[in-house]
Amino acid sequence: MSLHTAIVKAEEDKISLEKAKEFIISEKNGAESIFIGRVRDENSGKKVIAVTYDVHDQAVIKSFQSLCNDAKTKFDKSSSIFLEHAKGYVPVGEISILIAVSSGHRDEAFKICRYILEEIKHKSPIWKKEHYTEGNEEWLPGHSLRPKEEIK
Amino acid sequence: MEIQLKLYGSSKMLNDKEILNVDLPNNSNIKKLRSVLKKIISKKYLKNNLKNLPKTAAFFTEADEVVNDKYKLKNKELISIIPPIGGG
Repeated sequence: MSLHTAIVKAEEDKISLEKAKEFIISEKNGAESIFIGRVRDENSGKKVIAVTYDVHDQAVIKSFQSLCNDAKTKFDKSSSIFLEHAKGYVPVGEISILIAVSSGHRDEAFKICRYILEEIKHKSPIWKKEHYTEGNEEWLPGHSLRPKEEIK
Repeated sequence: MEIQLKLYGSSKMLNDKEILNVDLPNNSNIKKLRSVLKKIISKKYLKNNLKNLPKTAAFFTEADEVVNDKYKLKNKELISIIPPIGGG
């Protein structure tokens, strides 16, 4: 098995870098690329204390598997991919997303990592609500999945 | 007829629960649902926060597929509202 995708409920578990490294390691793959996204303490001048991630579980898993398989087909069929995204309340400094890739060569490993991250932002139904130090909160704007020809 | 709208992201401001029951005329489609949503948003005084939602949201059936404005809704159907996304 060379593909692992999951949504991790922040209240129950944490995304593990060690688990990811263990999953992708392979004697056939000489390059590894790991992307870690963490909750930042500032956005547009506002002090952030946490982000709540809302997720359409089924559709996200479906999209994760589809875009990871696309990446394999596009760049390296022998690559191993580990992809986890957090769901729920994630405090500043904690991991919200982890993409780990092992591939035959460095170029493909970097490309796969980047491709997956960008595709998630445009295809996977995940939403962010930021929580601020003042006690207020705000859903962040995003990318519409409505067919373009319908939006006027 | 009535449909069950499963709320995600910013649309959760529409209700305290995850599902919002929406009354619609018989044989309504997604286009009609958008116009009813517009009214609900004004009624709940959420226009400042959700003004663009009826226009920018996509809708998923239970098969997790985006449906277009012509999609005919069925009585009691469960539909997910998908506001603009932005994970990662």
